[in-house]
Amino acid sequence: MDFAIEDSAEQRSFREEVRSWLAENMPEGIEYPVDPGDLTLEQYQLRRELGRRLGACGWLYPNMPKKYGGGDLPVEKVVILHEEMARVGLSLPPYYDSGGRMSAPSILVWGSEEHKQRFLPEIFKGKVRSWQLLTEPGAGSDLAGIKTTAIRDGDSYIINGQKTFVGSNHGADQSWTIVVTDPRGKRHENLSWFMIPMDLPGITVMPMVLLTSGGEGGAGSGVKNTVFFEDVRVPAENLIGGENNGWKVATTHLEVEHGGTGRLGDQGVIRKFINYCREDSHGRSLLESAEAREALVDLYIEAEITRLFAIRNYWKAHTNQPRSYEGAQYSLRRKLSGLDIAEKMLDVVGPYALTNDKIYGLLNGAVELYERDAITALHPGATTDIQRVVMSRRIGIGRKEREQVSALR
Amino acid sequence: MDLSLTDTQLLIQDSTREFVRNECAKDVLLDLDEKPVPLTKELWAKVCELGWMGMAIPEKYGGTGNTLTDVAVLYEELGRGPVPGPMFSSGVLGALTLLKAAGEAQKEAWLPDVASGKRIFAVAVTEPRYGWSPDHVVMPAERAGGPFVLNGTKLFVHDAASATDLLVLARTKAGISIFRVDANAPGVAVRVLPGFLSGVAELTFHDVRVPRDDLVGTEGAAWADFDAAMRTAIPVLCSYKVGGCQALFELSVGYSRERTQFGQPIGKFQRVQDHIIHIVNYLDAARWANNEALWKLDTGQDAAVGVHMAKALASEGYLRACDFAHEVHAGIGVMREYGMTLHTKMSRSLYHFLGAPKHHRKRMEGALRLVPA
Repeated sequence: MDFAIEDSAEQRSFREEVRSWLAENMPEGIEYPVDPGDLTLEQYQLRRELGRRLGACGWLYPNMPKKYGGGDLPVEKVVILHEEMARVGLSLPPYYDSGGRMSAPSILVWGSEEHKQRFLPEIFKGKVRSWQLLTEPGAGSDLAGIKTTAIRDGDSYIINGQKTFVGSNHGADQSWTIVVTDPRGKRHENLSWFMIPMDLPGITVMPMVLLTSGGEGGAGSGVKNTVFFEDVRVPAENLIGGENNGWKVATTHLEVEHGGTGRLGDQGVIRKFINYCREDSHGRSLLESAEAREALVDLYIEAEITRLFAIRNYWKAHTNQPRSYEGAQYSLRRKLSGLDIAEKMLDVVGPYALTNDKIYGLLNGAVELYERDAITALHPGATTDIQRVVMSRRIGIGRKEREQVSALR
Repeated sequence: MDLSLTDTQLLIQDSTREFVRNECAKDVLLDLDEKPVPLTKELWAKVCELGWMGMAIPEKYGGTGNTLTDVAVLYEELGRGPVPGPMFSSGVLGALTLLKAAGEAQKEAWLPDVASGKRIFAVAVTEPRYGWSPDHVVMPAERAGGPFVLNGTKLFVHDAASATDLLVLARTKAGISIFRVDANAPGVAVRVLPGFLSGVAELTFHDVRVPRDDLVGTEGAAWADFDAAMRTAIPVLCSYKVGGCQALFELSVGYSRERTQFGQPIGKFQRVQDHIIHIVNYLDAARWANNEALWKLDTGQDAAVGVHMAKALASEGYLRACDFAHEVHAGIGVMREYGMTLHTKMSRSLYHFLGAPKHHRKRMEGALRLVPA
């Protein structure tokens, strides 16, 4: 077994290449707000600029096929790119792009060659930012119970309905959206996916006021929205994966969203929090308390297990190892350990954890944000209960037939 | 990054799994469990012939010099049994203690016998005032002219009753030292402890004379060496527990499909599912923390934090995996002939061995630089 992320001379030279490339190509003036909700439009545009530059090298979606604008890079180099982006305080892509991250594997598996040619290069080259639109007011855990319809009308479909808890701040170019194409059809056999340009007439985006926008990982979304579709006319060729075949496509999508592809890098905030406690923090010597030291070890272990599950999933997904329950397990773990860590932080530093005040807030407000995010993070990408249901089916608890993992490539 | 097992490791895994299936089936394990010493001559002969006892020992001392991860793969398969016996105490903890602490002549004299299985070592550390820190080692070794003389009690010593040789930690004027003692030397008494324990004994020493040649390594400086040996041995013990968790997981999934109540398999009930999800979460946390610790040790990196974490998680994980497996199995789980209580007993027996979770979490404070200067 080899957990080393950097070992060969070739990889070392790639890391140097990435590092000097970033030094040269990082747009001037990029800043790092602790709360993604504070990302200004100007700052967002700088990140998109960086995305396009990365995309031109095949580094924005480095593990995706070169044929469509990805990098076709082996797992070791993908890891290096993620690490080097994290080193400069950014993720890959450096902006919220859930619709790109989630749609690309689905399009690769289920899309026609024409769809791949048309949609993937724009995503991989950073020319478009995409949202994913799944949840509705009446369909959260029960995704198959959505009500938004797309009804065929000549060469188009007419979309009506409402998606909620979706997207980010600063808008999107297009949305990867699941809808009902056969309102009288059988459950699971009545759904389809569309890539919907967001500038079509009839689309309204309304920001939501939430505790936080939540921990979907990658770049934070900053804001969540409700999106209304009122007689929105979408060209029929934007339907991807076959009419009424959407539930099958959804299994690929959800595999990615449920953590099946894993993630790299640790939670920087944990490391910084431990460092803060090591120092004489706000004039207090926190480590003199045995309880504080115990809590710090506990939260360190919680974060470590989550990191290890993420590495395992990443390796399995990117080397095509057999997988079953691991995606949902990681997601469940991340959600539950987040709550646990938030409580331990509260125990160790007291109410300092709850303020983002300039004088008394910790780590520029990152701890206060963590306290809120840990709670919001319980729902995106399916609740802890749904993750357990997925795990049970995949493991085959109480059933001889184990639910199969969806294809990712 | 490559988290797969090597071809050698896959071979070890396959052959050990097959051996355990053929030679250590449930009825054999239940029989062994009834003996005060859970070992038969026939089983030991086979174990030695397979070369298991020499895997952690370098070739120059008669072993095969495998990586720690190779050794761990073997012990995971044994843990699935769980196959009891002194394999770990002698072939891993004993061998590594000798490798770290013993002088060259001692290594040459003893290690080939460990590798061949001719000698079986047990390591006697803990005492009635129980604990795995150096201040818990208080038994005296006094100089009487030439030899040392041991008097006192070592308590909860694993595999002492199977051993031919004991490595005893005791205090001389110079500090903690290790002594090799013949298990049947005059004045040594071993008493296997009854109850919810497997292969754990009390050792008493009454005027036991130990010649100078049997002082292992340097007098008074043994703790650092033993601590280093322990740090290397722990992930192998953790692998054994991971194997146990894996077996409990598979047993519970199987039972969830077969057992029917209210007209359906009990695994259809989400509360039953939750028990099994707890098991697999404990299993995987222990497995991957341990895998990383093994890799760090095999590649010569600082593994202190990782080893302490792996031991805390494996001890907790094996214990709780048993608890949840019992929730799934209810009555049948406590029937001796079903075999699951072999794990339950083993999970308790090994919980404190080489340090309980609290001990290792405490030591993580130091390793993470959380202790104020």
